[in-house]
Amino acid sequence: MKRLLVLLVLVLAAVSLAQKAGGILRAGMQTDPVGLDPHTTNATASRNVLENIYDTLVMLDSKGRIVPGLAQSWSVSADGLTWTFRLRPGVTFHNGDPLKASDVAFSINRIKDPATKSPRANDFALVRSVTAPNNNTVVITLSQPFSPLLAKLAFSTNAIVSEKVTRENNNDLNKAVIGTGPFRFVEYIPQTRLVVRKWDKYWQKDNQGRPLPYLDGIIYTFYPDPAARSTALRAGAVDWIEYVTAADVRPLKADRNLVVVGGPSANFRALYFNTTREPYNNPKVRQAIAYAIDKKAIVDLALFGTGGIVARGTTIPSGAYAYTNSPYNTRDVAKAKQLLAEAGLPNGFTMNLYVTSTYDFLRTPADVIRDNLAEVGIRVNIQAEDWNVYLPKALRSEFDVTLLGTSGQADPDDYLFNTFHPSSALNLSKYRNDRVTQLLEQGRRVSSQSERQRIYTQVQELVLQDSPMVFLFHSAQYEAMNRRVQGFLHFPNTSYLAFRYTWLQ
Amino acid sequence: MLGYVVNRLLAAIPTLLGVAVITFLLMRAVPGDVVTSLVGLEANVSPERMAELRRLFGLDLPLHVQFGQWLGAVLQGDLGSSLRTGREVAQDLALRFPVTLQLTLMGLFTALLIAVPLGVLAAIRRGGFVDYFASLFAILGLSVPGFFLALLLILLFALALGWLPPAGFVPLAENPLENLRHMLLPALSLGLILAGAVTRILRSSMLEVLSRDYIRTARAKGLAERVVIFRHALRNALIPVVTVIGIQFGSLLGGAVIIEQVFSLPGVGRFALEGINLRDYPVVQGTVLFVASAAVLVNLLVDLLYSLIDPRIRYE
Repeated sequence: MKRLLVLLVLVLAAVSLAQKAGGILRAGMQTDPVGLDPHTTNATASRNVLENIYDTLVMLDSKGRIVPGLAQSWSVSADGLTWTFRLRPGVTFHNGDPLKASDVAFSINRIKDPATKSPRANDFALVRSVTAPNNNTVVITLSQPFSPLLAKLAFSTNAIVSEKVTRENNNDLNKAVIGTGPFRFVEYIPQTRLVVRKWDKYWQKDNQGRPLPYLDGIIYTFYPDPAARSTALRAGAVDWIEYVTAADVRPLKADRNLVVVGGPSANFRALYFNTTREPYNNPKVRQAIAYAIDKKAIVDLALFGTGGIVARGTTIPSGAYAYTNSPYNTRDVAKAKQLLAEAGLPNGFTMNLYVTSTYDFLRTPADVIRDNLAEVGIRVNIQAEDWNVYLPKALRSEFDVTLLGTSGQADPDDYLFNTFHPSSALNLSKYRNDRVTQLLEQGRRVSSQSERQRIYTQVQELVLQDSPMVFLFHSAQYEAMNRRVQGFLHFPNTSYLAFRYTWLQ
Repeated sequence: MLGYVVNRLLAAIPTLLGVAVITFLLMRAVPGDVVTSLVGLEANVSPERMAELRRLFGLDLPLHVQFGQWLGAVLQGDLGSSLRTGREVAQDLALRFPVTLQLTLMGLFTALLIAVPLGVLAAIRRGGFVDYFASLFAILGLSVPGFFLALLLILLFALALGWLPPAGFVPLAENPLENLRHMLLPALSLGLILAGAVTRILRSSMLEVLSRDYIRTARAKGLAERVVIFRHALRNALIPVVTVIGIQFGSLLGGAVIIEQVFSLPGVGRFALEGINLRDYPVVQGTVLFVASAAVLVNLLVDLLYSLIDPRIRYE
């Protein structure tokens, strides 16, 4: 009997081992990658395919923590200016060439080089030089301390490419997709499919020492229409889909053959005031509006209750740096009215709210806001335009008030410096508070987490006092799959790195 | 005849040039450019760096210089490359045009398969049940939006019955059977809509022809009704139908954009749409020029077809 039990355990173990290997996942994507050269694109659609073909020096895990990637370990000098990375041995590119430290230096320099036209060149603006003193050491020298460096290196399109392949292809990596990642590129037929296969010599192992990835391959197909995407999943034409719309989450969850995963993702959506224009240059007006808006109603009504979570602090959605004690967490209409009266506007005013009609989650909250503000006497005039018309104007702060937000960030610096530092192109509310500016610069110089936490808490308290924006919600993102798909994990930063842990039953 | 064709082709040159100029200017008049679409919202790129990117993409050059460079390349047979994907526009068009052509042809074929018998029967049995059914069908075809019909067909054939795939595409050369399975629903959506218009026109033109003297003569000669209808009446009634189909064909070549979008087909229309969204000028300019050329050619073919149907029409 005992022997039988041992045998049974062994058989079960073998089965579970076997189960974790194999299968070709058919993934239904929203759109085609916009270019396949990781350094010349910033499109999420490209990133989500390329992140499993290429590797980065360090990576983000599903909790948003920095973990080793191609670099096994790293250290930073006491002055914060010299970063030394030790490369993982035995990593090979998909063409069989071994990874060299010079490839890493070449990659970062290629992103920095203006001629590459990389949208992310700014990530390494403070990098003075990248050198490879030997085959497995990379040294990055900065012109001033910059603690978000690791987060920048973890961004998946800041990928490590092969110097040789790049030179052989006249600096055009759209045509030669050769990385060191878990899957190697096989073919791409535009708007039809993109195919990748398991890379047998991939370096990463799971926590039981088995080689990753489990899948034999992935076939990506593209369904721009959200209804077509969920229908394709329900009809069994694909195993997995991305970007399940808020309205589709419930019906798909109700289907017993399907699993929906997801939740808050790395982003924020806010009401931006142009703080240089009347009456939004008055903090009392901005605070009044922040008190008057019912954030929960926005999530419940405009986002079907599933499309987002209510913002409880500022731009940072979760994690150690997220502030959650915003004074505006409880709606207070009386206080809003009082503040408006103090600002000399007891009868309210007319507010022009400029929004994009392209994305529902940036359009429908406007209706709730209009109703909310009507209660304090502010008459909201909504003007909606197509994204491509809207965005250039929004980037030039050509609005009184707008609804916007960014996504895909990792470091608190991304969320705070980019949004509130006067030198930042994304400081669309033209916010300026010298104390905040000073703290943000300080936050870049220190690397201890507790010290940074103290600084960034202070920043967020000051920002909430000044209220240059009303922080409304953090969009949620969902992926859906049939029950055969195992091991897939939702990452909060719009990443499908989890495909390397996925298998088909 | 040959002289006529040459003349028509020469006359097309100013048309195409006009199309090229208008497309070029319209794309530049639309707010945003490839740099705004490239940078997006996440990279925090300074206005100075944006200006530098514009310069690197050649977008800072005067418009006439940009147009001249593009046209010069086109005249040498080079439609350029996408600013975003680096892929050659001509190469991508060569991939997509067959898809659109197949969709258009299958849609037209479906439309004719339904509309010709229905239109003829409606005319012969005027005021009867078939006639009423044909009118109802025509009105539905003319009024139901294509995307709505497409969704209904997907719900029925893909989701409820599971007979056909809901969307997606397999190249014809790779697997003809799978290709047909994927193209059937899109072609049906397109065909049903088109069939409405064709039925309506064929019915009225048949009625008109059937009241002509030569039809009475043909019947008086004792010809079988079948021969009267198909050889004498239908042939003459087809002229306006060919005109309508010609016009539709030209516009369908530009891509049945909505159908391509709903069924995720890699056609010309979706290619152009993507180009417009990304402000990828070479893609849009190349596609529009290509489609305009195709439309000119189709119009010419339709005009030549008239003389085949009705030998009285000649071209000098």
